Amino acid sequence: MNMNQLKNSIVFLKAEEFEEKPGVFGMSYGFDSKKITSSIKEVGLLNKPYVRRNIAGRIDVVTGYRRIMACRALNWEVIPCIDLSDSGLSDADLLILNLYDNICVREFNNVEKYMIIRKLLSYFSLSDIHERFMPFLGVSSRREIDLLLKIEDMTDDLKGYIAKGLISMKALDSLKEIKDYDLPIIIKFITELHLNFNQQLLFIEYINDISIREELDISTILAEKTFIELLDGASRNIPQRAKTLLDRLRIKRFPILVRNEKAFAKLILEVDLPPNVKIKHTPFFEGPDYILEISFKDGKKLKETIDSLTQVKGIEKINDPWTD
Amino acid sequence: MRIKKIIIEDNAALFRQSHSILNKLKNVTTERETSELSEFADKIHPADMDKETLRLVAFKGEFLKPCPGTKEYICCGYQILNIGTNCPMNCSYCILQAYFNQPSLRVFVNLEQELNLIADYLDSQPEKIFRIGTGEFTDSLALDHICGWSSQLSTFVQKRKNIALEFKTKTDNIQGLLSSPYRDRIIVSWSLNSQDISRQEDKGAPTIERRLKAARKCQEEGFIVGFHFDPLVYYKNWEDGYLKTLDLLDKYIDPKKVIWISMGCMRFIPALKNIIRKRHPKTHILDGEFINGTDGKMRYFKPIRIEMYSLLKNYLDLWEKDVGLYLCMESSEIWIKSLGWTPDNSQGLSDYLDNRVLKKF
Repeated sequence: MNMNQLKNSIVFLKAEEFEEKPGVFGMSYGFDSKKITSSIKEVGLLNKPYVRRNIAGRIDVVTGYRRIMACRALNWEVIPCIDLSDSGLSDADLLILNLYDNICVREFNNVEKYMIIRKLLSYFSLSDIHERFMPFLGVSSRREIDLLLKIEDMTDDLKGYIAKGLISMKALDSLKEIKDYDLPIIIKFITELHLNFNQQLLFIEYINDISIREELDISTILAEKTFIELLDGASRNIPQRAKTLLDRLRIKRFPILVRNEKAFAKLILEVDLPPNVKIKHTPFFEGPDYILEISFKDGKKLKETIDSLTQVKGIEKINDPWTD
Repeated sequence: MRIKKIIIEDNAALFRQSHSILNKLKNVTTERETSELSEFADKIHPADMDKETLRLVAFKGEFLKPCPGTKEYICCGYQILNIGTNCPMNCSYCILQAYFNQPSLRVFVNLEQELNLIADYLDSQPEKIFRIGTGEFTDSLALDHICGWSSQLSTFVQKRKNIALEFKTKTDNIQGLLSSPYRDRIIVSWSLNSQDISRQEDKGAPTIERRLKAARKCQEEGFIVGFHFDPLVYYKNWEDGYLKTLDLLDKYIDPKKVIWISMGCMRFIPALKNIIRKRHPKTHILDGEFINGTDGKMRYFKPIRIEMYSLLKNYLDLWEKDVGLYLCMESSEIWIKSLGWTPDNSQGLSDYLDNRVLKKF
């Protein structure tokens, strides 16, 4: 296929003839049409969309779906297009034409990547797709392709969040094991509390673990007052509420660990340490020792601190919190 | 367990063990395969380990390798004899599930030829004790009636006084062992658990009681036996569950003929969690409070491990103090706080277990 060898026959098509949906070659989802609309409004349609008439006589948009939508939004009655009906190009050629037309000018969101893969699968094997096209989309592994294909079964709401980048692909992967009826409440927490990508993963892992352990639906757990009240923004800002959500879930997921962390913190608080001295435990107490941290300006101050430590009452009581 | 298909890879048909296996499974569909795994992997769903297919493989890797153990924790200096991979049982916690690129039950049919090289290696170090096991990447006995491993390996170890060969199993498939005339240098050991966990999580495996009956039979027939409480799982009423298994141990087993009992709390590489969730959606094996260990594996929060090991240790002590109790992949601190002593490091544990071998054989 070489477009330079094709005759460009311009046709003027009625705007009403175009369908709202992207059609067989379309790969646009959840886009913002403001920029392109204002561009066309200012300087007109610089690059004409490619179209063809299908067997049923309807118009298939090959490239320029967004431009056509923008023209319609501007109430154009006719839209100049290049007609490829007699080009001899196959459907696969036309799909690739649209793909390359898009690759040059923009990045795809994950729903669009899914659309592209799904359409390519009609003409190419998975291995071919992986080798030939995925590098352009920034998709590096077969696993990622599998993940993107899962978007197929998702609701429009969920697709919208994915397209906007509000939910990470890793989070999406984690959601695969969640029951359908629990998805809306999870998405609600993720989007309303603006959980970042790491928080999303942690949130899904905690809530799923708790749900399985307690044999309760996720929806039931998240409906508890301690969680549902976080969706009401009256008292704290969104980042604070996001952090509180994860803290509360952690307490529920790791009751023994959290109890011991608190007991240790209380133990240290009761020891009257100098302000420049801290005593810490290793992550999850897994190391055999505790850690003494002294900040100091010079050796004299360090010596003073060390001397004073021997006088601190209660320091000898520091021990594994679970031994009490 | 039923083998529905045999696949003979590459040059595997040339080996005697292949003929022996094919003779035993005459009615099973057989295919030859020359192309490698990439094509195969496309056909097998990741969650399907294809446990009804037996692959005869001429293994090109090393047959005898030190157990990789784990960083930062004390390991036992075990040697793994790689006779095959995967297992017909379907335990929810099994690490082999993470090896999706190699599904099916795989038998390394060139073992017999490789044993000559292994013999040279072992014979070159007569002073060193080699504790060798075949139960790391497969169950040592689950396929024994088909593969004849017990007969083949029993003969091999009899000639060598610096070896202790451990057949580690969850089955009661001991006929092959019992029909062999050899007993020396052979340890038969069983994975044990609470009966609750075994019922829920050891899918396709005989009950704990059947395992212990098999162990008693082996003891009666002159074998030295061992036990592995691994993975210990923390759940509601876990104490009661494990004590009931200890009661069964007392009922069936003569502690004087036990070479060792190991304990290891549930642990897993992080990647295994999603696989377990996918393959065993109803499991409660992941319910406990797992933290990131210093080796990158997920393991129970320290006081939970100490509590579990301590309880079992105390009850085992009441049964018999000298059973060679040890911990698998734990820190020195945990050893001291639960068993009251520590071998300090992996060499110390290795020496301790070598001495158990010298004592029992």
